[in-house]
Amino acid sequence: MERLLALWIETLSEEKPDGSTLRDYLAVLDALTVLCPFTETVRLGLFVLPVRAPSRFFGGEAAVFGAARQSVRDLIGREPSLGVADGLFCAELAAREGVVVPEGGTESFRRSQPISVLGRKDLATTCRRLGLHTVGSFADLAPARVAERFSAPVLQLHRVARGELSELKTQRDATLARRLRTARGEDEVAHEQMGFFGQRGAGDDRAQAAAYRVRQRLGVDAVMVASVRGGRAPEDRASLVPFGSPAPAAVETAPWPGQLRAPAPAMTLRHRVAVRLDDQRGEPVRVGSRGLLSAEPSSLVLSNQARREVVWHAGPWPLVERWWVIDRRRAHLQVVLAAGEAVLLVAELDRWWIVGIYD
Amino acid sequence: MLPLGEPWKGLVPGGGLRRGSTVRVQAPPGFGGLSLALSLVTESSSRGHWCAVVGVDDPGVVAIADLGVDLRRVLFVPRPRGAWAESAADLLDGVDLLVVRAPSRVSHGVARRLADRVRERGTVLITLCEPNAPWPLPVDLSFDITESQWATSARLDARYLTVRVGGRGEAQRSGEHIVVLPNRRGRAAAG
Repeated sequence: MERLLALWIETLSEEKPDGSTLRDYLAVLDALTVLCPFTETVRLGLFVLPVRAPSRFFGGEAAVFGAARQSVRDLIGREPSLGVADGLFCAELAAREGVVVPEGGTESFRRSQPISVLGRKDLATTCRRLGLHTVGSFADLAPARVAERFSAPVLQLHRVARGELSELKTQRDATLARRLRTARGEDEVAHEQMGFFGQRGAGDDRAQAAAYRVRQRLGVDAVMVASVRGGRAPEDRASLVPFGSPAPAAVETAPWPGQLRAPAPAMTLRHRVAVRLDDQRGEPVRVGSRGLLSAEPSSLVLSNQARREVVWHAGPWPLVERWWVIDRRRAHLQVVLAAGEAVLLVAELDRWWIVGIYD
Repeated sequence: MLPLGEPWKGLVPGGGLRRGSTVRVQAPPGFGGLSLALSLVTESSSRGHWCAVVGVDDPGVVAIADLGVDLRRVLFVPRPRGAWAESAADLLDGVDLLVVRAPSRVSHGVARRLADRVRERGTVLITLCEPNAPWPLPVDLSFDITESQWATSARLDARYLTVRVGGRGEAQRSGEHIVVLPNRRGRAAAG
């Protein structure tokens, strides 16, 4: 989990009817982005930024705190509450208390929190009756016991309590990014996206009217428009957004090192499908740390246990992305099955997924 | 006539898709039916015609762009649920080419109504179906993929499709052709 600096500004958490909250929030965001370009807007009143890189740049965490505090004070005349801990969940708690959790101390900090910080009254009441007053004591329950007694969302909370997940689902405000864009005036009106070099013909109007009719029939996200953006793998490059949403950024045409080359799969699965890739002896094939396969794949086992013979494969092409933050390692593999179909597989964390089908 | 790109220009009678016609693309799943259907719209799309794709759950945006389709004039309705025919009918009013993959078996009546609508609006309907759930009506032009063979090097290079082109009228005399779809640049080419 990443060490995060969270800034909690109480006055910006409640929206005022004159729209000043959003404007102030934007101003603070711009100032913090100068400190660290990875500043994230979590919800109104709360920002987080990774603390490691800026503190190396500014010469110590104290200098970063000072700079952040100063810029908030200059802009809106309020004192922010600063907190540092690993992961968004703990960082927010730390910010509300105004404490800097020392490196490696997040675990005990989280465990010492009262159970109510998980944000569910029913859970807190039940746990207190069971004599569990802190997050730590809740975390000590076996996951299976929790699953027996509670619903899936509580199981998620349990994972947060154990430190397996870094944030609560409810912590982020999903609509905020869009509202900020609108406030900045970057949100374009729907129909401008459809233009062709600024000219609009009768055909464009007709198509748009038809799209609106289908949208009326099936719901706002039924009609999608697509564009291609930069990235390495086809599933990263595809952007499919609801018709009428803000125009995507300009089409990326610059060369992208490490890009998987054409042909790309004609279907890229929105929800990738978990599969097993076995070698001749039925052992699972893995991608080693040097980016090589542990054995020659010989069959692909689908989730319904159907086994398909692999007649040819190419790759793996490993991708190591943002190793300095999240250490995401993926490897792509092209596979041709006995019937003649080809699929694109990706390996991540020793598991295989179908991400594309060459239909 | 809506224009067709390579390699279809030379293989289809008249070198284009007649407005108001229904075109069938039939292939077993994973045999390149989707790529073929999309390769039929590339030329029209790049000349400013609108098209829509209904019922293709997870369109491979990159592959579609590589084929030469202008994504700025494509509407996708990936999951029309039960209302695929209604959505298709709505879209027929607004676009010039419509690619449809029906999520379930198509009834005779629905196919008839869509075909009538297509004729009336002067659109081109491209239906994508599998041999075990064929389009229930005779069509004006048909592309049936019978074989699909990947050429490989250190990666997937190109796919050779054996396509039987047929249909009504002049198209009856077309025959079996081998096309490359996609080739190393993700486009369609003659075999």
